[in-house]
Amino acid sequence: MIGGANPVAGGGPVVLGLDTATASSAVALRLADGSTTQARDDPRPGEHPGHATRLLEMAHELLDEAGRSWSVIERIAVGVGPGTFTGLRVGVATARGLAQSLSAELVGVSSLQALASAALATEPSVDSVLAVIDARRGEVFAATYGRSGETAPARALAPEGLSTIIGEVRSGRWLAVGDGALRYPAAIEALGVPAPPADSPLHLVSAAAICALGVHATPASGLEEIVPDYRRRPDAELALAAAGARRAPRS
Amino acid sequence: MGGRGSSPLILALESSCDDTCAAVIDADGLMRSNVISSQRAHERFGGVVPEIASRHHLEIANAVVARALSEADATLDDVELVAATQGPGLVGALLVGLSTAKALAAARELPFAAVDHLQGHVAANFLHGYDEERPGGQTDDVAVADGPFEPPFLCLIASGGHTLLAHVTAHDGFEVLGRTLDDAAGEAFDKGARLLGLPYPGGPALSQLARTGDPAAFAFPTAVRVPGLDFSFAGLK
Ligand SMILES: [Zn+2]
Repeated sequence: MIGGANPVAGGGPVVLGLDTATASSAVALRLADGSTTQARDDPRPGEHPGHATRLLEMAHELLDEAGRSWSVIERIAVGVGPGTFTGLRVGVATARGLAQSLSAELVGVSSLQALASAALATEPSVDSVLAVIDARRGEVFAATYGRSGETAPARALAPEGLSTIIGEVRSGRWLAVGDGALRYPAAIEALGVPAPPADSPLHLVSAAAICALGVHATPASGLEEIVPDYRRRPDAELALAAAGARRAPRS
Repeated sequence: MGGRGSSPLILALESSCDDTCAAVIDADGLMRSNVISSQRAHERFGGVVPEIASRHHLEIANAVVARALSEADATLDDVELVAATQGPGLVGALLVGLSTAKALAAARELPFAAVDHLQGHVAANFLHGYDEERPGGQTDDVAVADGPFEPPFLCLIASGGHTLLAHVTAHDGFEVLGRTLDDAAGEAFDKGARLLGLPYPGGPALSQLARTGDPAAFAFPTAVRVPGLDFSFAGLK
């Protein structure tokens, strides 16, 4: 579905924003006057993510609706996660391919920060946001943000451990958002942090927020600078390190 | 603008396993460049780790494309079709090459072709002009010796992932006459080398050792009971 205009401050480059940190595929087009249109694909539970097939289609649709061609895009902003590895790679590879093809600028944006900034913009009475993305395997990726930026950096942890990250900066009115918050409602409730209803768009990473953050970011000086924020080493490396630790003599 | 004339070019990417590859050919099958970047990161694991392969593909995909274009003395302006391997292979690794190639094509409204990996092996025989020394070390994915071959011909694909005997009758397809029922030939080679404790990738090391070996020292099993033209290598290791 295609969303309506979502104006942000005018001026700046024409930005195409992408995010694939979760099962959703999100695309937004921000024109030079600041007007932003967006499209997204949210698979139902059990459905496969459409990252590899829907991203470019939706970008094309947004350009068509705006009566623009690919060549007007001056900057690509991509959500670098943290999130699911394969999804992030499709998003980042797509963004880098588009930037290479168009000779456009490329910026990477935290998908957690995109969640938080959309929540802070929508809920003026909220002081701080706990942004939580499902990391699978019983873990979440989480970070906290206040009105002046990040207050606790992104990390992978068990949902029960969220109290430690939020304990670092506990003051004011809080809100918890993201598919990780929906996945572990008991852990969020235990924190005493309210969350919007499950069907709230604040739980979805918005590509318009990726665009808005991307406008102010400094472009990468090389495409290879923009990589997914994995936050976790590959299992094979962890297994190898663990085997090495077992073999190493105890000191 | 292509330095070497105005012939429209095809840019192709391959990322199905642990080599990140990009090539530029022209419409007559002349290879203008063929860049192969082999990942060394798998050595300490004794085999290809899919997650690590995918991460490496993404890190260098655009640089490999840029190098293929510059070695071909071309730019994206000269490209009229972009292609990429769609499979078979490691799904996460394939998605990096596919996503990169589709984005390169989409932004320029160029057609995109998803190519079967085995058809790619077969089609290597249609190409010509590949004679430079190859940077990047050995790989299973370069097959042009005395090409080009024109169909009909018989094609044996023997790599780390595949063993297939194909009857090639046209440029756009082939008939499978036989294939391995278990391991690929290269897989049996690599696994055998691993059992012997040879360094990764074991195939070349084993091949090197074999040159000084005694061909009569062991009686290796042959798959005589495999019907038709199929192969079996599982008993070799
Ligand atoms: Zn192959």
